[in-house]
Amino acid sequence: MKDISTNDSNLLVMVIDTNPFEWEHPSAPLKLNEALQHILAFMNAHLAGRHDNKLAVIASHVGVRYNGKFLYPTPNEPIPGGKVPTKKDANAYQSFKVVNEAVLEGVERLLRDPKPTLEEKDLGSSKIAASLSLGLCYINQTLKLDALGHIKPRILVLTVSPDSSSDYIPIMNCIFSAQKANIPIDVCKIWGEDAVFLQQAAHITEGIYMRPNDPRGLLQVLMFSFLPDMFARSYLYLPGQDQVDFRAACFCHKKIVDIGFVCSVCLSIFCSFSPVCSTCRTKFAFQPLLNPARRLGAKAGVSNPGSPRPSTPTTPSQ
Amino acid sequence: MSKFQTSIHEYLETLPEHTFNRLYQKPATCLAIFRLLPPLGKQIIMSCLYVDKPIPFNEMRLWFKDGAGITKQMEAMARLKALHVFTEQHNSYKMNPTFLQEFRNALTGGGNSESFGLATSTPDKHHVDIAFLDDYATKQWEAILHFMVGTTEGKPPCKGVLNLLGRSGLMTGGSNAQQAENMDAREFASQMARQDFGVPTITNKGFQFLLQDINTQVWAFLLQYLNMAESLNMDLVEVLTFFFQLGSLELGNDYSSEKLTPSQTHLLEDLKAYGIVYQRKRGSRRYYPTRLATTLTSGTPVMLGSHSNATKNAASAAAAVRKTEEEEEDGHGFIVIETNYRVYAYTDSPLQIAVLNLFVHLRDRFPNMVTGVVTRDSIRRALSNGITAEQIITYLSAHAHAQMRKHSPVLPLTVVDQIRLWEIEKNRLRAAPSWNYSQFNRQQDFESTLEYASELGVVQWSDSKRKMLCITQEGHQPVGAYVRKLITKHKEQQAQQQQQAHQHQQQQHHHHATSVHS
Repeated sequence: MKDISTNDSNLLVMVIDTNPFEWEHPSAPLKLNEALQHILAFMNAHLAGRHDNKLAVIASHVGVRYNGKFLYPTPNEPIPGGKVPTKKDANAYQSFKVVNEAVLEGVERLLRDPKPTLEEKDLGSSKIAASLSLGLCYINQTLKLDALGHIKPRILVLTVSPDSSSDYIPIMNCIFSAQKANIPIDVCKIWGEDAVFLQQAAHITEGIYMRPNDPRGLLQVLMFSFLPDMFARSYLYLPGQDQVDFRAACFCHKKIVDIGFVCSVCLSIFCSFSPVCSTCRTKFAFQPLLNPARRLGAKAGVSNPGSPRPSTPTTPSQ
Repeated sequence: MSKFQTSIHEYLETLPEHTFNRLYQKPATCLAIFRLLPPLGKQIIMSCLYVDKPIPFNEMRLWFKDGAGITKQMEAMARLKALHVFTEQHNSYKMNPTFLQEFRNALTGGGNSESFGLATSTPDKHHVDIAFLDDYATKQWEAILHFMVGTTEGKPPCKGVLNLLGRSGLMTGGSNAQQAENMDAREFASQMARQDFGVPTITNKGFQFLLQDINTQVWAFLLQYLNMAESLNMDLVEVLTFFFQLGSLELGNDYSSEKLTPSQTHLLEDLKAYGIVYQRKRGSRRYYPTRLATTLTSGTPVMLGSHSNATKNAASAAAAVRKTEEEEEDGHGFIVIETNYRVYAYTDSPLQIAVLNLFVHLRDRFPNMVTGVVTRDSIRRALSNGITAEQIITYLSAHAHAQMRKHSPVLPLTVVDQIRLWEIEKNRLRAAPSWNYSQFNRQQDFESTLEYASELGVVQWSDSKRKMLCITQEGHQPVGAYVRKLITKHKEQQAQQQQQAHQHQQQQHHHHATSVHS
């Protein structure tokens, strides 16, 4: 973000959560097809902004079979609206139409597939992390191929699912990769509780996190807060975050913890003490003196609880 | 913002409001005009698009950061108001209802305006591919440029083009428009080519025109056409709508010309001559837009001659397309310029060589390249032709070879600076209309006048030794009044002093006079 100029085109990678358990929940304030109308208009608005604005759409679906799926562009399948003549519509701008049809068709195909079982739901709700990594790879590829370096990438995650704590490590990895590559991750949690990890994602990558007051006004929220590109953002006041929930999930039981144990060698987080770090195999030759909550309160009194002795100092990892 | 965008903007801003209301009836036009706006202007429209009530001034102010943000907002709003997208109403901004409606339609694909080009219902028996269209556009357009630089390549362009060249002041010689109109194309061309017709056939403006990128050139042509359209009794709105519609079409597809209005059909004929659209034969029911047309509103440089798909949609992001895109980058730039002012241009196009010849002293020519050197004389020749240093530098950097692009800055600084210095050298004198104030009698009169004038910021030049100063035309009124006030004040003082002097039986001769020369 050193040199933002008006001549930069934007690459927007959208990750859309299509988790059917949330969208088809009776209390859902918005149906998926309604929301899609909003999202399609937003996509068109992005493409309308500049002739060379680029877009990629990834669906993050539930179920072991899906690890994030590209809705647009679709590289391996026959391209709709490509050389195969589709019916042209004089009322619609051709490049909008191509995107919209691809996205609608992709979502339809996802929903036509047998609904994932309930076990799969518990196994890992929406594969946000998988979709994020797909998105990051796509951005990397596009930037590498762009000789002039005028493409400014960003990621927008539209999610409805609650956090899945099993996703913690992959999501964090994505966040740090994005931070290193200077790619902001914007997050719109359309309804429900705040998504803790994604909130952190937006905070760390200097993106925007928002949970709209009324999900039915989704389009206005998208247009107002998530449409501005990096150039416009330097002149606009955009929603910020007052409070970010920095809680992490433990590596052993994937529980979200306020206070836990941290391996002093590899910084893995655990909710309960274990004598051997499961990540780096460091052995801890001491017992914790106090339980973590009390220890935090009395941390002034505790001095040097002992340092860990890595069993294999040269190659701590497996 | 590139020049063509500025020029089309300037043109649009001269149009009256009711023209805009008619223009905005087509979603394609709304989209095209939207794309011409500055980035924050676009954002303002998008933010307001789905808000149904007018936005109060102070509410919109809160969207922007203080300082730079507010300045940008002011700029953007000025543009939007000039284009009649927003109007002010009871301390709030209201979006033009037609624009609002049709722009929403453009985004959602609704409405029934058919402004994005009506596709033909039957497949074309004589279907042409993109390579052919590029070839066609290149040939037509370069024929015009060749004619301008006076190379013998290609056949002379048709009458309509010649007429336009003359009218826009790009070429002289038979530029008497009325006369040209009555002349047969060949006659006109031969007259232009004849030696006795006055030596330069190309004007200063024409030289500048040659150095611009194709997109700017095309727009310059089209704007000239718009100016002419009024005199040809063509409907301005229909012509503009058609231009903007062309920009939204897809390369390599054919469109039906059946639903076009008579003036649009006429327009199609003319655009064919420029290579902007292709029609197999006159009166054919279908037409193909070429790359010149599809990139009209995009602002991306047109790269003619390379057959890859610049306006590709992201769907064709396959590796094959990527590759050709890279090749395109390579093929685009051909000039290498070194710190020792030597120029190597990898080209065999007589057109590019002719353009380079405008400001480079060419030395050797090889089958695939020419070499030359930028000298003071070659640059001065260009400058005296009316080309500016900035245009030369822009041309060089726009056509720099891929190897050059790896450096930052692209062009060697010494060369860029020297070209600028050569220009400054030429412009040592600057004429400005002004008023000269002289013959102040007292130094302090002069100084207080100077102080007053510099507070107003109207001093052009001053010399305190000779007690002279030059004031701009706008400054003449207040400074003149000030000086007159000084004079009357002195006269009063003088009168007082005289009275006193009278008492003291002394006589003093003071004479304050301040004359004003134009």
